[in-house]
Amino acid sequence: MKIVKLKEANLHSFLEEISKEADLWAPVKAAPDRYKFEFIQDLNKIDTDCTRTILPPRKILLPPSINMFQASEKEYKEDFSHVSKKIIFGIHPCDIHGILIMDDFFSHEFYDPYYMESRKNTLLLGHSCWPDENCLCKSTRTHIIKEGYDLFFSKLKERYIVWIGSSKGDDLIRTKANLFEEDISDKDIKEYAEWCDQREKAFQTEINFDALGDLMELMYNDPLWEELGNACLACGSCSNVCPTCNCYNVADRPALEKKYSDIKRCWDACTLESYSEVAGGENFRKKRADRLKLFYTHKFQAYISKYGKPACVGCGRCVATCPVDINVKTVGKSLDGEKVDAFWKRLSKEVTK
Amino acid sequence: MNNGKLKIGIYELTGCAGDALLILDCEKELLDIFKAVDIQSFLMASSDNRDGKLDIALVEGSVSTEREIEELKDIRERAEIVIAIGLCATVGGIQARFTDPNEWKKKYKEVYGDIEMTHTKPVQSKPIDAYIKVDYYLPGCPIGKEQFLDLFTRAVKGTLPERYPRPVCVTCKYNENDCLLNKGIPCLGPLTADGCGSICPNHNVPCFGCWGPVEGANLTSEYYLLKEKGFDIESIKKRMANYSGTKLIDFLKQFKKESK
Repeated sequence: MKIVKLKEANLHSFLEEISKEADLWAPVKAAPDRYKFEFIQDLNKIDTDCTRTILPPRKILLPPSINMFQASEKEYKEDFSHVSKKIIFGIHPCDIHGILIMDDFFSHEFYDPYYMESRKNTLLLGHSCWPDENCLCKSTRTHIIKEGYDLFFSKLKERYIVWIGSSKGDDLIRTKANLFEEDISDKDIKEYAEWCDQREKAFQTEINFDALGDLMELMYNDPLWEELGNACLACGSCSNVCPTCNCYNVADRPALEKKYSDIKRCWDACTLESYSEVAGGENFRKKRADRLKLFYTHKFQAYISKYGKPACVGCGRCVATCPVDINVKTVGKSLDGEKVDAFWKRLSKEVTK
Repeated sequence: MNNGKLKIGIYELTGCAGDALLILDCEKELLDIFKAVDIQSFLMASSDNRDGKLDIALVEGSVSTEREIEELKDIRERAEIVIAIGLCATVGGIQARFTDPNEWKKKYKEVYGDIEMTHTKPVQSKPIDAYIKVDYYLPGCPIGKEQFLDLFTRAVKGTLPERYPRPVCVTCKYNENDCLLNKGIPCLGPLTADGCGSICPNHNVPCFGCWGPVEGANLTSEYYLLKEKGFDIESIKKRMANYSGTKLIDFLKQFKKESK
């Protein structure tokens, strides 16, 4: 793999150059306490100190609502207006893993042109990060990325080591080749190695993901699920913030005075009650406990048997989001027999009092 | 006037008439609406109204007088499909929050004194499904343009209107807001029907529940969560009762003993 070096002071010149040919997306500070990926028009808004954004970068590939096609009685017209050339800068290893999981899912058995067209037009420019107490990516082994990115920026003091992961990434470097240096010094290597060591030690949370697939099956009828179901607010937030959730709903939007319908595709979430409702009003998973079981089976177990890895990349978004503490951390630890301090645990004591 | 168009009536009972106003406010689509259907009755838009057979009646407002009970029953008899629009028609609105008939009588007396109502007798305010069968519900305070046009178009084209059984949190997350509950702010997003665009949480203001309770809401968990965050039982109950009309009565009753 080719590795080059970039002075931090030259980052904006590079980003400015490459954003001429594509829409640049990057994390910005939306409020003192939250970050989100935004379409960048002012490079100064980019904030590379971001730990995690509220929504994962899959929203850039497939926004919460898109129009799939327009249908009339005799024909239909496809709509790919959500597809454009995009560059996502500042994406962390866990989120790149998340996109690779989506790629796997949408490129084989269920080939999805709406995702894939968007994906083929998007370049991923990764950025190194530092964990907080909610980061679980070391446990999911997604804290390091070796494939899938076009460029990856490892931050050192006042400079970046830039890993070139694809020929498209190499092309980007060549648009402003004079900004990059090729000589990686011993000092750079030493600093990088030390940074890696320190980062490994900085992870505060560990979960035994290897065991979770089996435990999920063994504990499928455990009272734990009822406890979780009692507390779940059924708000769907865990699914909406998850980088690997990919479910959607399709709805007709007929036009009043015209003879066609827009066919919309919107994000859906298996944790919402309406998700499992079918024609006639029957609902296969009316109980919150059953819906949570489905969600966690998908994350911990079913995906491993199909793709060889869990569908959790340890980004910690569900941990930061769920108001009643139902998340990969507390559910994973409980499945593994550990005691956890969580609202759903305290609630179950309260309601059985 | 019979030209094969569906006959529609839009009616306002007790409420602020905000839903009828919103329909008139669909300015871009208004000509299409009037072209697509035959509006038989729409008091806010026309003085020339007829009381004949209807294909669809849209009813806004809660029922709060005996005359409105009669009016509503008459609408139901004349209409094939009745759609409740807005918070007051769907759950009763703020005016239905006095759930105990004695409490209502007391409040009524406080406001109106002993004045005798001559034209009609007031009754405790209730949503329209307390008196008639309702075919579809469109929540909102007021209803949203997008949802109204969607429901209206589907009803006119003879397909089933889509329901909105999602909490405010769904759109709130799409808008990338940090969860206010996590900051100890008493937000009713998880209990409230979506459709407003999470307009309050977008500005760091907690959801007050003005679109009414969402189906399948976990009231118990939210109740204990707010309690754990230090809110007293009466303030939680008041908050939940404000916009839920008659729909959360049974839930809120169970905490009566505890509050004393």
